[in-house]
Amino acid sequence: MKLKLVLSASLLALAAAALPRMANAEVAPLDLVQPIADYKIYVSEHAEKLVADTKVFTDAVKAGDVDKAKSLFGSTRMSYEAIEPIAELFSDLDGSIDSRADDHEKAEKDPEFTGFHRIEYGLFSENSTKDLGPFADKLMADVTELNKRITDLTLPPEKVVGGAAVLMEEVAATKISGEEDRYSHTDLWDFKANFDGSRKIFDLVRPLVEKEDSAFVTKVSGNFDKVDTTLAKYKTADGYELYDKLTEDDRAVLAAAVNTLAEDLSTLRGKLGLN
Amino acid sequence: MTTNDNKLVTTRRNVLFGVGAAGSALTTGLTTARAAEKQGGQVTDAPVSDKTQERQSFYGLHQAGIVTPRPAAGMIASFHVLAKTPADVERLFRTLSSRIAFLMQGGTPPELDDKLPPADSGLLGPVIPPDNLTITVSLGSSFFDDRYWLAPHKPARLSRMKAFRNDALDADLCHGDLALQISSNTPDTNIHALRDVLKNLPDLMVLRWKQEGSVPVLPPKPDGTHESARNFLGFRDGSANPDANNAALMDKIVWVPENGAEPAWTRGGSYQAVRIIRNFVERWDRTPLGEQERIIGRKKATGAPHGGGSTEHDVPDYSKDPEGTITPLDAHIRLANFRTQASEANLILRRPFNYSNGVSKSGQLEQGLLFICYQADLEKGFITVQRQLDGEPLEEYIKPIGGGFFFTPPGPQDESDFVGRTLLEAAGHDVVRKS
Ligand code: HEM
Repeated sequence: MKLKLVLSASLLALAAAALPRMANAEVAPLDLVQPIADYKIYVSEHAEKLVADTKVFTDAVKAGDVDKAKSLFGSTRMSYEAIEPIAELFSDLDGSIDSRADDHEKAEKDPEFTGFHRIEYGLFSENSTKDLGPFADKLMADVTELNKRITDLTLPPEKVVGGAAVLMEEVAATKISGEEDRYSHTDLWDFKANFDGSRKIFDLVRPLVEKEDSAFVTKVSGNFDKVDTTLAKYKTADGYELYDKLTEDDRAVLAAAVNTLAEDLSTLRGKLGLN
Repeated sequence: MTTNDNKLVTTRRNVLFGVGAAGSALTTGLTTARAAEKQGGQVTDAPVSDKTQERQSFYGLHQAGIVTPRPAAGMIASFHVLAKTPADVERLFRTLSSRIAFLMQGGTPPELDDKLPPADSGLLGPVIPPDNLTITVSLGSSFFDDRYWLAPHKPARLSRMKAFRNDALDADLCHGDLALQISSNTPDTNIHALRDVLKNLPDLMVLRWKQEGSVPVLPPKPDGTHESARNFLGFRDGSANPDANNAALMDKIVWVPENGAEPAWTRGGSYQAVRIIRNFVERWDRTPLGEQERIIGRKKATGAPHGGGSTEHDVPDYSKDPEGTITPLDAHIRLANFRTQASEANLILRRPFNYSNGVSKSGQLEQGLLFICYQADLEKGFITVQRQLDGEPLEEYIKPIGGGFFFTPPGPQDESDFVGRTLLEAAGHDVVRKS
């Protein structure tokens, strides 16, 4: 809890400077300090877990243990996906950790294609750890660096609050199609992490919105619940079913929930008086 | 909006812009976008059109966009519908209707706090012009099949489209619970409307596929007559369409009649068949003119039938040509309409758009016809005609890749009404007419 206190102190200064104009008279700038401090802890915990999980994952890759590495792929990514709006603030690292083949001109063959999806390609498409060693080392170095940068980061309130919607935009734009984890089809793990990350932000600021607009809060939680119920159908002992198991109907249910959450959460910043 | 308003707007526009007889511009559906001729215009000045205030009425026994003259830009968008309960389906129909009413009327969207996303995409500016927009709502077979309480009320002829002989259907371009046909003077107006609907109904509808299309614009003819636009094979398309201004004919061909096999709620509605038909245009352009004309059964330049006619409105007489020496027996128009007394039961009203989607993997143009037709009986109409066409020589140049069958419910009577109300009432759902 020491961390929290320190953060709160630094955020007080920040809040006073960055949050002068509040559209919503009921939300005072200082009201956001605690939720943002709590979110910082959430992000830090996930970044640390990402480092620990990536260590085990990349060790398996380097040891040539294809099966073990495959089984760890989905769960290792979850800590990254949950805090993606913050991780994305470092675009150099986001590119090297989480870019997809189609972000690169030469696709899978492009030397710039590194990170999770490059290793995923080797493991699942080529069923091998051959030549993956350097990618494993690079990924490990990148997530370690990410963790370090996050520790030093002062979270901009509008990025935090806006992050709830950003996560939904990510799912809506590229994940709902199953393009993200195209070799492993572990997309439902990513979904789960994205939704949890978005819900965390929403839950933290929820008390601030609730008094003004309880209908909004009910609607948004209802949609998060709908997503949870739908994803729960695909839960397995150690994670989630592969993406191709998702029925067309459930995919539509998820797509509609994502689109609705994206619409609703896009107003969250404004509701809290953030620009 | 009422017909009176409509006249008023038209008349005022005519006064302002000196368009000919009142209402004529409205019925031609032509868009004559005139570039600003003013000296000193800038490269990025907006092209100018005097048609942006053209307006169609959303209200009436029939939905707009069926016998409405086809404007320059069209789109079909197909959706997966999430509304399952009567209450949700009612909310879907009501919201859809109120958005359509607003968009077809035009107006100013609400202004929100600038810390919030704006209510409107803004792509048509702060005041939305009607621009001759129509949005026609239609329901697919699955809309009824997947809702047990609606299944007994499914239109008698509605089925899920099955592949015909020449089809190579792409599952991602087929079917849907609900289809919107959006047409207006410009593609931008259609896109604006689609984005508005998506933004307002994210929890009840998910977009599955869409296809946009266009109709080539012609200059007005000095004598005030009209001619059919051309499709991407370079032939006039629509010459032999039944006269959409003949209400009695439309009652026979297009609208579901009061008495018959159909449930009563469908009265005033129509069946919509949509087909995305790719044209192999490079190959077509390398085909001798005479062969092209034999395949279609008409002259390319004029659109006249073979055997002496001079205009597209001349009518071929197959009784004098039983061997097909004038119009080949397997010509497109001859197979599509035998022109016998019996074949009158198979007439359809076509309302297609040309589409162009980029380049195929083989480096050929991905373009073709967004074929849309309406009929009172899907079996006797599209399905029968397409079966007659199966095996036609034109097949070498076309490949149907998508589409679906839908039922277009009757229109809303007035502002207190909404599309789909008669269906909900038939299903025993209490609907309150709000005014
Ligand atoms: C890419 C595909 C198609 C092309 C390029 C095409 C082209 C044409 C052309 C050039 C005409 C003559 C002018 C006219 O009356 O409009 C015509 C007529 C016609 N077409 Fe098509 N058509 C296509 C698909 C279809 C389909 C799928 C149907 C229905 C199943 C259909 C039904 C008709 C009918 C009913 C006529 C009028 C025949 C008459 O009454 O003389 N067409 N088409």
